[in-house]
Amino acid sequence: MSVNDFWTPFSLLPFLNALIIGISLISIWLIAALGLTIIYGTMGVINMAHGEFIMLGAYSTYVLQTLIGIPFLLCLPLSFLILAAIGWVIERGVIRTLYRRPLDTLLATWGLSLILVQGVRLIFGGEPKYVGVPSWLNFQIEADFIHLSGLRLFIIVMAIVMVAVTWFLLYRTTLGICVRAVMQDKEMAASFGIDANRIYSLTFCYGAGLAGVAGSMFGALKTLFPDMGGGYIVEAFLVVVIGGVTLAGSVLSASLLGELNSIFSYFTNDTFARFILFTLVVVFLRIRPQGLLAEKMTRR
Amino acid sequence: MNGNIYHNRKAQWAIYLAAFAALALLPIFFDSPFTLNLLARYCVFALLAVSVSLVWGYAGILSLGQAIAFGLAAYGMAMTMQMQYQDPVSDPIPSFMLTNELKTLPLVWAPFWSTPIGLILTFGVPTVFFIGFGILMFQARVAGVFVAIMTLAMTAAWYSMAYDMQPFTAGFNGISPPLPFQIFGTEVDPYSAGAYWVCVAFLAVLTLGAKFLMQTKFGLIVQAIRDDAERARFLGYNVAYYQVVVFALSGFLAASAGFCWVLIVQYVSPTSLEIVFSISIVIWAAVGGRTSLLGAIIGAFLVNGMQSFVGDELQQVWMLILGAIFIGVVLFLPRGLAGFFELVLGLFSGRREPQKSDWSTRRTSAVTKESAE
Repeated sequence: MSVNDFWTPFSLLPFLNALIIGISLISIWLIAALGLTIIYGTMGVINMAHGEFIMLGAYSTYVLQTLIGIPFLLCLPLSFLILAAIGWVIERGVIRTLYRRPLDTLLATWGLSLILVQGVRLIFGGEPKYVGVPSWLNFQIEADFIHLSGLRLFIIVMAIVMVAVTWFLLYRTTLGICVRAVMQDKEMAASFGIDANRIYSLTFCYGAGLAGVAGSMFGALKTLFPDMGGGYIVEAFLVVVIGGVTLAGSVLSASLLGELNSIFSYFTNDTFARFILFTLVVVFLRIRPQGLLAEKMTRR
Repeated sequence: MNGNIYHNRKAQWAIYLAAFAALALLPIFFDSPFTLNLLARYCVFALLAVSVSLVWGYAGILSLGQAIAFGLAAYGMAMTMQMQYQDPVSDPIPSFMLTNELKTLPLVWAPFWSTPIGLILTFGVPTVFFIGFGILMFQARVAGVFVAIMTLAMTAAWYSMAYDMQPFTAGFNGISPPLPFQIFGTEVDPYSAGAYWVCVAFLAVLTLGAKFLMQTKFGLIVQAIRDDAERARFLGYNVAYYQVVVFALSGFLAASAGFCWVLIVQYVSPTSLEIVFSISIVIWAAVGGRTSLLGAIIGAFLVNGMQSFVGDELQQVWMLILGAIFIGVVLFLPRGLAGFFELVLGLFSGRREPQKSDWSTRRTSAVTKESAE
């Protein structure tokens, strides 16, 4: 077995196509990581069930679409609301008691993810389900070096929209000021009259809702099965951690990671690219543990 | 000295030795080969739980990467056993390689022709990897959650490697050596009491060794680092050194578990490197009590025992139950069953352990004495 079997020779057009696919990958990872950035950034809560929130978003879209016949575009805000409600219940029940114990939240949310996966498996069965792509997205862009499906283009657009909306909420509204105050120092914010617990709940719900929207779109991209969440959680965490747990950081790190993954996949293959990428991540965290664009010097 | 008998060292050692003696005597009562193999598997899981207890309960490092050491050692052992079967002249290449159109034995596999070297690699490679990985992380003062995430990412990376490098690792099919392990001219039957005792021996020796280590000065410093790494640093201790050593030791324990695993199961696949498996080990240690090595062993036996006996109908609900148990343990029983046991023993010991530190109690009584005069 020679090295050549691993290494695809370079040729321009397929490489450019790989770069474009990279942009699609960036958008997917960014959307998946957005909710986690908000939740971890504000509350320091490691939500290992985030992948399952995405999965629940996908399944709720499936239910809305097949059982009630709601059009795809409307499913997105509806899954936002559904997941926000689920997130509210979870925050009240489980997360609230674990704010000062980050490692324990990691473990408790992992237990939660087990319950969610098995619960969905019991309700819906383990066979793959499908979310239909709406007809107006059923096109392919076929140019010289671009082979992109309409859905992927939609996801790229949605990524930009969601980041813009989140940025607007955080930096242009009073609620955003409260959230950022709580992010910086919970006690001081509370002493200014901000109800920190309510902010925490709202933030968790918002993050969960974002995961729900992500899931609705990812469900259309690939098939639905109960443990599909697992495929997003590690990447989402890496995006958040490398980015330095800020919104801008997540955008930057998602761009870097997504594009690098695509480039490595082009030269070798998907799984080997993953291996190289994760090793690079570990090395990077050694050099710059606080991430790319961290706000504070202290690590949580 | 009045106090909780849970903290009495002599009592602790007595219990540990009694527990291992009981484990060693089990084949007298359960001699069906299937049960012995099952119990041996539990011992392997218990060893993994001990490795987590060591690195998390005693050193405060939540490592979600024990599966890396376990998997690497398991693959090493499987490769050793596979090459024992292959004949250099007539049948030098394992069959799965031939189906993957590999004509010559890869360089990575070549050392495994020799069983002693294979064994050294089985135990050595994971440990060396953990040393390197540990140096990478702890020199940069990565702590807490970030360690968990990095070990998680590394586990995912290794899983991808094992899954994808099909010509080298037989991919998702896994490697199943045709013959059991041969050593010193005899074959180790995976379903015999002998194999079971090998696993118990590993478990006992390594657990008692770890316990002894944690009662030395080295162990006290490690626990001090767990409680407050900054303070230990200010006191002049090289925190990274202690963390790397404990991390590497836990890797060695997990590697030993991997060795025993393939010894009794005669099979390895990428599932040994799965994230889910790695986190399950943490669950067993958490349920049993991560600050107690014996607690971790009991946790592993308990959870896996329940899983085996829950049966097919309840198998579906089992994951729900496990998740609920885990959440319950984290929320209400953070020190696990061992912590609960400690609490109960504390009630029986008469005088309670002081809740505040000695220093503050003495100061308070000194102040009240002054004001009384």
